[in-house]
Amino acid sequence: MEIKICIGSACHLKGSYDVIKKCQNYIKEHNLSDTIELKSAFCLGRCSEAVSVQVNATEIFSISPETAEGFMKLMHQRTEL
Amino acid sequence: MEGMPHYIDISSHSLNKYGEELCGDKVEVVKGNKRTIVVLADGLGSGVKANILATLTSKIMITMLEHGADLKETIDTITNTLPICNVRKIGYSTFSILDIDDCLNARIIEYDNPPAFIVRDGELISPEKSMIRSGDKNVWVTEFELKLNDEITLCSDGVIHAGVGVMLNHGWEWEHVGSFIAEQEISSADKLNRRLLETCNRLYDGRPGDDATVVTMRVRKPEIAQILTGPPDHKAKDTITIKNFMNQSGRKIVCGGTAANILSRELDREIVTDIEYIDPFIPPTAKIKGIDLVTEGVLTLKMALTKLQSINECCEEPIFNKKDGVTKLLKLLIEESTHVHFWVGRAINPAHQNPDFPKDLSIKINIIRDIEKELKKMGKFVQIFYTD
Repeated sequence: MEIKICIGSACHLKGSYDVIKKCQNYIKEHNLSDTIELKSAFCLGRCSEAVSVQVNATEIFSISPETAEGFMKLMHQRTEL
Repeated sequence: MEGMPHYIDISSHSLNKYGEELCGDKVEVVKGNKRTIVVLADGLGSGVKANILATLTSKIMITMLEHGADLKETIDTITNTLPICNVRKIGYSTFSILDIDDCLNARIIEYDNPPAFIVRDGELISPEKSMIRSGDKNVWVTEFELKLNDEITLCSDGVIHAGVGVMLNHGWEWEHVGSFIAEQEISSADKLNRRLLETCNRLYDGRPGDDATVVTMRVRKPEIAQILTGPPDHKAKDTITIKNFMNQSGRKIVCGGTAANILSRELDREIVTDIEYIDPFIPPTAKIKGIDLVTEGVLTLKMALTKLQSINECCEEPIFNKKDGVTKLLKLLIEESTHVHFWVGRAINPAHQNPDFPKDLSIKINIIRDIEKELKKMGKFVQIFYTD
């Protein structure tokens, strides 16, 4: 699974840095580096719903540093399906 | 030398005598198409009186010379105009003039300032001088042809007296300053200037005993930075904008996520954004083959502007060894470019219309105009093009 976190202007202001840190920590804690690849991206075109996160180059989610961990849990479950 | 592309890179900075609000040295620069003239004047004494003498001298000289007045006439005007000091019963200001035409013929005219430092290929050179007399003044004239990468440094005596009686017995001395300049391998006039003055300030232990001013000039090969920031308003213009941008000569920089995505799409070259932050406050950069630097847009530009403003408020040498987008951008602009061209699109970013988005960031063009202002202070040639 590929997860792309937007680091464009709007998302950066809404906390891309913290979102990335939280996602990286989750991956580390659950040993998921082989199944989930974390990347960054410039503007995903959903600036008004920052922070935008794209999964497998299709679905775009709107998450925040507070919801990042929950989002990762959801993605974690998906990889196990 | 006619027709050879070159850029006359000029920088000047001053240290005020410790405790003085005004500088008694004054520099005037006129950069025309055909001719570049610089006047450095050092007024007698310090503070207000010296400042007035130096300002009068530099302003009168540059105005007369610019309008084609004869040298002797110009010097006589100064002699007859300067107010007489009540204490010393003389009206006096030293001066150095640097006059370069578009074929790189240089003329240096000097009266009582430390002789100019002329550096060619890492060595100090001393072309022949001739003397002309004006009243009781002996004025020295040096005429020679400049080559690419030649460097001329003018300074007031506050520079060669740096540290006198404190750190050094006789001050920094002309020969020492000369070899210091010759040793530096710096292509930017501003960087060399700041390095000299910073060293000078250290020798004075941060408390200059006199006003110290340095003017540096370097004949540089023109180096252009092309900066694409923001896509055009009409999507239909994307292709032509990117094509035009890529056809320009010089280094290519993209400041803006959307612009970078469009460029990547149009050129069919992959864009790879970094995920690691070097500085949590600065959005990571990205890589596109053939592009020298790719950064996020408005935040990076705003931070670069703030840094440029603080650099221009002092004369210390900025150090750019961090690897974040702002530092990399500044290094390219300040040290590696003589010309900066901004390519600005008028597309409106929906996110910037969000009431939560900081107001001063919503209009990118204002940031670009302020950056232009600061870069011009550094002697850069800046142009803004609208892509639509």
